[in-house]
Amino acid sequence: MSFYHNVFQKRTASIIKGFLPGLSYVENSSWVHRLHPLVKLVMLISFSLTVFAVPTCLGGLVLFGIMLVFYGLAGLGLAFFYRKLRFIMVFGLFIFIIQVLVVQEGRLLWQAGVGPLQLSIWSQGLFGGLNLALRFVNIIGSSYLFVATTDPNRLTYSLMQAGLPYRLGFMLITALRFIPVFHYELEQVKNAQMAKGIEIEGLSPGQLVKAVKYLLVPLVITALSKVDYLAISMESRGFGLYPRRSYLYVQSLSRGDKIAMGMIPLVFILFNLTIASRFAW
Amino acid sequence: MALQDIDLQIYPGEFVTITGPSGCGKSTLALCLAGFIPYAYPGRMEGTVRIQGKNTRDYPAGGLSGIVGLVQQDPEAQLCTLTVRDEIAFGPENLCVPAEEIKERINNALRAVGALELVDRQVHTLSGGEKQRVAIASVLAMNPALLILDEPTANLDPFCTAEVLETLVHLRKQNISIIVIEHRLERLVSITDRLLLMQKGRIAGESTSVESHRKYLPVKTKTIWQAAKTPNPVKKEQGPPLLSVNNLKAGYEGRDILAGLSFTACAGETIAIMGNNGSGKTTLLLALLGIVKAQEGSIEFQGRDISGLKVARRARDMGLAFQNPNHQIFENTVLKEARLAALNLSPEAEPEIDSRVEQYLQQFDLWPYKGNNPFTLSLGEKKRLTLVSILAYRPGILLLDEPLVGQDSDRLDLLMAAVQEHRERGGITLMVCHEPDVVAANCDRVLFLDKGKLVIDKPVGEAFQLLAQMGMEEYLPSNRAFACAGKEGKLI
Repeated sequence: MSFYHNVFQKRTASIIKGFLPGLSYVENSSWVHRLHPLVKLVMLISFSLTVFAVPTCLGGLVLFGIMLVFYGLAGLGLAFFYRKLRFIMVFGLFIFIIQVLVVQEGRLLWQAGVGPLQLSIWSQGLFGGLNLALRFVNIIGSSYLFVATTDPNRLTYSLMQAGLPYRLGFMLITALRFIPVFHYELEQVKNAQMAKGIEIEGLSPGQLVKAVKYLLVPLVITALSKVDYLAISMESRGFGLYPRRSYLYVQSLSRGDKIAMGMIPLVFILFNLTIASRFAW
Repeated sequence: MALQDIDLQIYPGEFVTITGPSGCGKSTLALCLAGFIPYAYPGRMEGTVRIQGKNTRDYPAGGLSGIVGLVQQDPEAQLCTLTVRDEIAFGPENLCVPAEEIKERINNALRAVGALELVDRQVHTLSGGEKQRVAIASVLAMNPALLILDEPTANLDPFCTAEVLETLVHLRKQNISIIVIEHRLERLVSITDRLLLMQKGRIAGESTSVESHRKYLPVKTKTIWQAAKTPNPVKKEQGPPLLSVNNLKAGYEGRDILAGLSFTACAGETIAIMGNNGSGKTTLLLALLGIVKAQEGSIEFQGRDISGLKVARRARDMGLAFQNPNHQIFENTVLKEARLAALNLSPEAEPEIDSRVEQYLQQFDLWPYKGNNPFTLSLGEKKRLTLVSILAYRPGILLLDEPLVGQDSDRLDLLMAAVQEHRERGGITLMVCHEPDVVAANCDRVLFLDKGKLVIDKPVGEAFQLLAQMGMEEYLPSNRAFACAGKEGKLI
């Protein structure tokens, strides 16, 4: 399937790409990739909870370090991390600066007059800001690491076999299945607009309404017609006939996986109780 | 009432083709046979449908799924998983078949459709024909006794169509009953055991031998060669070409789709663009209009190089009708939609546009629907509407991407009459078309693309001869194929 490009699309595409690089699954066969999806999910949840539980920014830094180690293990590396999460880092920095400038509690660390403005940095602002920024980067970074190393298809099949109702699982799978389809449809609609001489430029409210209408209406209509076909196709193949279904590939958890799933949360809790909370800042 | 007095028996291993005009109840019948009516759809059904001797009402909802398989028109929309293997496993998994047996069924199903090599592919990377074969395989994996296909080749090019039909012939040998619902019979007559014609919800005709099947071919295909033999009613101007394309190269994401195309078109010429899916036909139309940027080469229209002009400017001279009309309907009434493009593109005043829009809407049988929402129209009506919206501003060049899909044969006349009228005004038509018969009857020249290269640029008769020499059977008109078999003598 080919995606039609043009100047207008390239311009919007490059703006979007600058902000939101393709945060999707990166095919590879690293150790992290091969881990059972459920083990990784437990790791992600434990990690995220710890990120919020750890009160100090040194703890946050340690978690950040752990995360980078895993990026390395996944064969993704620092360059990849920087390229994909640049925007998140900038945003984290932004949070940090706001905190430093606004929060005026704790000890006064530094004070200076810049022209008529009086700037001061307080300990709560500095460490609190650093902590907040680290939390933000850690949460997004770890979530993305999970996404980048976990085949969504395998994840969903694992979840369904672990007890997720298969109707929910297939909601996710069909959604993934139709992303490229709708991407293609969207390009078609844009092409059709150009062919009809519809030029939507500028961002006045009237133009915006028109743009949304001329884009969404055809897209929704095509989507609805596809849904009809899809429903019949799935039902005629017995979807929903029985409360359970069998699976071609059993995504079984090895004994090691099971032990890991039990141990990982414990490790994080211990880390939080013993080391992280002892740090002074 | 969609269906009336239907009495029908299908025997094991029988190949039945059901045809009839749009809205005659073919698809409704398919849904009844597959057990979706009266279960999944609201409606009333009288009488009984028995599958293997048992009333469909006595099966639990969805319980027919291992017995009757249904394959639909849009290959894209009926695949629900990400890989071919998962897709074919999907049905048996729902029936709680054990994994070992599923593996076996995947193998058998893919072998039956000749697609074993696709097993590890991602669904979104498949071609249309491959998707349709995977869809058939995914139904076969349920081991159905009866396979119903509702216009299985409507969205496919001739090559993929041939691929799918070959698959069906192969399946019939394995004693599976097959029902194919189809508008276009040309390629089905030779493999059909029994042909049923439906009209207004009734079975109006039945034929049981290949010879008598031919009676049901639309009249047009039978007379098409006479039409082709009559000289073109418009004398071609011998002046300089109106449109001339030179070494056009275009593509996206670093991939070249068009690898240096050159051709010219004179005023009043109707040109067919043919070729397999992915050969660059649609890209050529988009590149002419500038939606896909040309990397190299020039496009001259009326002696001026237009390759530097913006799309909106070029659109005044070139009206493009897309394959899927749903992509290009934006307004909420038929009338507004018909005027939309002209208001954007035509230099004329509104009253003139309005009177022309009215004239075309009436000509295309759409005037009664002028206040309706265009999305409530049928596929064929929508396609006619998009054509009206283009004709309303009288572009010099019509670019039509598969205008025939979804039109039943009697509506073809309307379409071709419009093209004829355009030609009489001296307009050029470039038409992507997969129906060799229609090409033979209506076009002056054929451009045949293969992997982005122009391999044939000849008058229709010569082009078909070349295609025959190249072994491109799928692209030959049906009568031409008979001619090869020596039944109708030498043509052209």
